[in-house]
Amino acid sequence: MPLAFIKNIFFYIGQRIILTIIALVVLSFITFSLSYIVPGDAALVAAGPNAGKVKIEQLRREMGLNLPFHEQYIIYFSKLSKGDLGKSWFTHQPILEDIKDLLPASTELVFFAMLFNILIAIPLGVLAATKRDTKTDLSIRILVMFGAGIPIFWLGLLLQHFLAGEAELFPIAGRLSFSNRNFESNSGFILIDSIVQGEWSVFVDSLWHIILPSFTLSVLFIAVITRTTRSTVMKALEEDFIILARSKGISEFRVIVKHALRNALVPTVTILGMQIGWMMGATVLVEEIFGRPGIGKYAVKAVTQSDIHAIVGVVLIVGVIFIISNLIVDIIHFFLNPRLRNS
Amino acid sequence: MKKFIALIFIVSFSSIILAGTKGVLYIAENETPENLDPANATNSTVDQLLVGVYDTLVQFTAGETTVTPRIAKSWSVSNDGMKYTFNLRNDVLFHDGSSLTAEDVKFTLDRLVAAKGNTMNDLAFYKGAEVVDDYTISLLLESPFGPFISGLSRIYLINKDLVQSNLGDDNGRAWLAVNEAGSGPYKITKFKPTEEVVLEAFEPYWKGWSGNHVSKVVFVYISEPSTQLALLNSGDIHIAPDLTVDDKVGLRSKMGFKVDIGAAATPLYFQLNTQGKKIMQNPLFRKALVMSFDRGLHLKSVLQGFGNMPDGPLPSNWPGHKKGTELRFNLNSAKKIIKDNGWTGTRLLVRYLPAIEEEKRAVEQFQSNLAKIGITLDTEGMTWPTQAATVQKLETTSDINMIYNFPSFPDPHAILNTSFNGKLTGYNGGYNWSQYSNNKVDSLLNKAASSSDQKERANLYSQVQQLVGSDNVVITVSNPGSVVALSNKVEGYIYNVAHHQTFNYMDIGLK
Repeated sequence: MPLAFIKNIFFYIGQRIILTIIALVVLSFITFSLSYIVPGDAALVAAGPNAGKVKIEQLRREMGLNLPFHEQYIIYFSKLSKGDLGKSWFTHQPILEDIKDLLPASTELVFFAMLFNILIAIPLGVLAATKRDTKTDLSIRILVMFGAGIPIFWLGLLLQHFLAGEAELFPIAGRLSFSNRNFESNSGFILIDSIVQGEWSVFVDSLWHIILPSFTLSVLFIAVITRTTRSTVMKALEEDFIILARSKGISEFRVIVKHALRNALVPTVTILGMQIGWMMGATVLVEEIFGRPGIGKYAVKAVTQSDIHAIVGVVLIVGVIFIISNLIVDIIHFFLNPRLRNS
Repeated sequence: MKKFIALIFIVSFSSIILAGTKGVLYIAENETPENLDPANATNSTVDQLLVGVYDTLVQFTAGETTVTPRIAKSWSVSNDGMKYTFNLRNDVLFHDGSSLTAEDVKFTLDRLVAAKGNTMNDLAFYKGAEVVDDYTISLLLESPFGPFISGLSRIYLINKDLVQSNLGDDNGRAWLAVNEAGSGPYKITKFKPTEEVVLEAFEPYWKGWSGNHVSKVVFVYISEPSTQLALLNSGDIHIAPDLTVDDKVGLRSKMGFKVDIGAAATPLYFQLNTQGKKIMQNPLFRKALVMSFDRGLHLKSVLQGFGNMPDGPLPSNWPGHKKGTELRFNLNSAKKIIKDNGWTGTRLLVRYLPAIEEEKRAVEQFQSNLAKIGITLDTEGMTWPTQAATVQKLETTSDINMIYNFPSFPDPHAILNTSFNGKLTGYNGGYNWSQYSNNKVDSLLNKAASSSDQKERANLYSQVQQLVGSDNVVITVSNPGSVVALSNKVEGYIYNVAHHQTFNYMDIGLK
């Protein structure tokens, strides 16, 4: 590997990391400001019924809510810079610990939703592009419209009712059957831990529980990726290098996969990267329907209680995931795009 | 040899006392518990868990509104009503095997005061405790407080030694948020608040296990009603409290299920801002508003009959209830008042929680009725903390606010004082969101609170209801029943009126 290339890649990654840190600081400020502006009084909620003004004021002081906004933010940021997201006013636990407990469940969900997304959307997009203006293309486009238009919540309820409730093909709710809930998962990633511990029945059970929720979560995203892949592959198929490849006698499969799709993947990968963050934010709906634990549920509870530090904590973690996934996309671009490599 | 015989005896004895526990009871809950701290037991989701994990000095047996002994075998009150002396049971063990004594009771109360526990909000007159001996304790008050004994039914007794060693710098709040230190019939063995909480029967529970009880209780947190229904249908759960009204109606006639309607005491009000804009300060205008809501229609169409017809702000089966203090629905009379006084075209604002279907539907009816008499009702749906924040200042309080009253114990004080005492207005940090301040009402409430003569108290509360009714302070929208769908395998389910939205899982068995 030439030295200039290595220098380039390190410069590129370094630049992205600095931008990431700046983005996180800005994100923490915006979220904190929004939580501060939105009306709501955590001290009043924490004080309970019939508390009276004196007790509410005492709690407000203890929670630091009596301080001006800039002082509250400076205190928060100085803790944040040491990796401390603070304590939840309602669970009384460090927010980082709360999130650490819940993030694996949401991550597993997003991972499988992304798997469905890639495995279904890209082949569908390629198929639609290669069968342009045929019945196959039309059918895929109708499916895509359906997927983009159907509310996640409704789809989840339908799938749950028919496939789990009526047909009993899948479990109705939860991460595991009640009989397997004694399983000790050290990392919180049940699928991984069950493999490591050789608990295959737990692994299968957990896999079975994740299929419906992750598919529900993926449908909207599948629609987007199918459309993007279809249009980019179609565009690529009209390029001169494809005509050249075909004239060389390369098989159609190779032309599509190796030449057209590879070039068409750049915008698709960009969108996939962003979708990870969006999916993390959308987990709440799926978690609610399928009774799964996760950071979405935690965030909703925090919002309804005006638990500002918990809200900011969740937003920051989702923000970090969003930014990291985009950083990875940028790096993939670096390898896919020769112009970036040589710049 | 002696040890061997003793061991056989213990094993046999354990199997006898556990004879009544069998099976696992699965209960769905829509709200997740934010923590396990008894200081937070005013929150019904937390209270639902703790009711069988901790003991209390006194209790309201499920379905009853009179207080009975629990850990306190008996008690006496000093003549001035400021000293309560309790004789405690001497056979109560905490889950770690240590004995519960008077020191634990004192520590419990002192810790609640230091931690600013919500459960002490209704026991503000508590001054301190004097331990007389291991099983006798005196609780001292700053001034007499009639419902003091009732208020103790939500004070869960904690294990002093265990909590003290984990006190930290926050009076044990962080530790007790995820651990328990109780002596109740069940102990918590797993706490995953967004997923499930598992409780297991505590073998040496002082009350024993005669009758039908379950050996394990699992609370599963499912917020979506249709998911709760699917799990109930599939037999995965036994109790589903949060189904839609339509689904509950459907299950009433379905084989294998039953629907329990508990006589809950959680009245829903439209609180009319008595210190708001000039027109709202006029009792005659408020009278027209009170006559514009059809409670009968609400009970029939929204609650589908699951509840009682409200008759004033206090549930009609409670001591001290006075009949006919709140005006009935009469849209023609209301229209006449509005027309005669030239109030047609008035615009009002109501704030409510749209996430609660009953509130949403009540607002719709009220809006429609008011439109018929020439008043436009603007609506603002919000979350609970936001709504609560708006009433902390008079200038941001809307004309009308919707709010449920969740009394901490079944005593008129818990409802009337909370909703009508001038010291507990919204701007004073209370739930009197009508911002209603009437010296006469306050004086009656205070007198009733300090009296221990139940007859006198009932009379005083009756006067309060009359005054509040003639001032047209609230519209009592409903007295919704606590409607819970159950598998017919469940027996012993009784709604616990003293702990709102709560039932005693420790009294439930499976067929």
